[in-house]
Amino acid sequence: MEGRPTEDAVLVERSRHGDHDAYAELVTRYQAIAARTAYVITGTAADAEDVAQDAFVKAFYALDRFRAGAPFRPWLLRIVANEAINRRKAAGRRPTVGLSAALDRASGDTALSPEASALAHERRELVLEALRQMKEEDRLVIAYRYFFDLSEIEMADALGVARGTVKSRLSRAIGRLRAVMEGEGRDDA
Amino acid sequence: MTREPMTEHELEATLADVGDRLAYPRPAAMADAVRARLREPRSRRWWDAFVAPRFGLVPALATLVLLVVAIALSSTSIADRFLRLPGIDIFRAPSVSTTPGPSATPRFPGQRVTLEQARAQAPFLRVPTDARLGTPDEVYLDQTQSGTQRVTLVYLSRAGVPVSPNAGVSAIVVALRGRVDEALFGKVAGGGTRIEDVSVNGGRGFWLDGAPHQFFYRDETGNIVTETLRLAGNTLLWEQDGVTFRLEAQVTREDAIRMAASFR
Repeated sequence: MEGRPTEDAVLVERSRHGDHDAYAELVTRYQAIAARTAYVITGTAADAEDVAQDAFVKAFYALDRFRAGAPFRPWLLRIVANEAINRRKAAGRRPTVGLSAALDRASGDTALSPEASALAHERRELVLEALRQMKEEDRLVIAYRYFFDLSEIEMADALGVARGTVKSRLSRAIGRLRAVMEGEGRDDA
Repeated sequence: MTREPMTEHELEATLADVGDRLAYPRPAAMADAVRARLREPRSRRWWDAFVAPRFGLVPALATLVLLVVAIALSSTSIADRFLRLPGIDIFRAPSVSTTPGPSATPRFPGQRVTLEQARAQAPFLRVPTDARLGTPDEVYLDQTQSGTQRVTLVYLSRAGVPVSPNAGVSAIVVALRGRVDEALFGKVAGGGTRIEDVSVNGGRGFWLDGAPHQFFYRDETGNIVTETLRLAGNTLLWEQDGVTFRLEAQVTREDAIRMAASFR
């Protein structure tokens, strides 16, 4: 057991008893995915950091409602996503978000021929533009699966839906993504 | 622009690629920022008064409110907190609050039942037949947060087994379906507590002595159940046929193992 990171459940339990150091460890562990999740919804890095920080504070005070033994990460992500969606609503939701990507980053495409590289670049721009136009909820489902590689079980917990409905939600989101890419109008129009 | 719609595979690969390249924020010192915010006084809401242990409520009313809340939220950790034994809600961590719970909380969790009722409702139950313990004086039946049944046998005062100053009883036995999670167990016990591997009824067990502490079970549904050792005394923990037993009594390790061998 020596040298292994302390289990989330232990840190959660300590946090529940008021141990801020234990909670700080959980924050360090999950700050990246929390901020990324918030970013997928808000589309701006500064807002996303604020949202993630607020969500961590709220989650701390909500630990009494956390079911002992449940995984912490999806529970936290649910709070982050709610916080991010509320923040967007409060700010007067704009129709699109400003998600941006380092699309021309050199790495990754170096093994491709110039033509293949150009095609990959074009596809990424197409997908990104469609994502910007989609509803937050759809973007979130897609991000959990393809960006953050969450398991179906984690996705269900993070989205607060039954496990059996994750696949259909994802497939509907992908369907709407394709529709936007193929120029069938804005997703939420 | 791409004319042909992407295949499923191409779309998935592109999505993963986009996911890798998004201009995500890179939080650096979020833990410090969160920690600083947790140190700030929190704006209080009216209902916080009811859950704040330092708030002085009229005892009779407090008992009523707490019991109603505990019953209403019996599947949540809030109820669990209320039902803990006063004064020994202790967790081995550097800055832990050991504020005693409300003084009117029940001494042991669950509903008082007869031994026969407990056996009928929790068929996995075995009880010690050791003459030093005899028949339990009180039996409680309750459920863990995830619905696993748990039985607590209470032995008030027994010759040769000192009465615990913490709980005012000589021994308790707790039985629930579940297993001791060694990984978690080893993390939370320690400090003032010594843990030894022992053999109990041919299987593996643990002998704990020293400071009172909390530890975790993993119940039959895989959920982690937090338990506080109630007597602050010596404890023998073992698992038998998928049931975890815990004997807390101020006896020697050998005596505890002998008592465990008498469980029928």
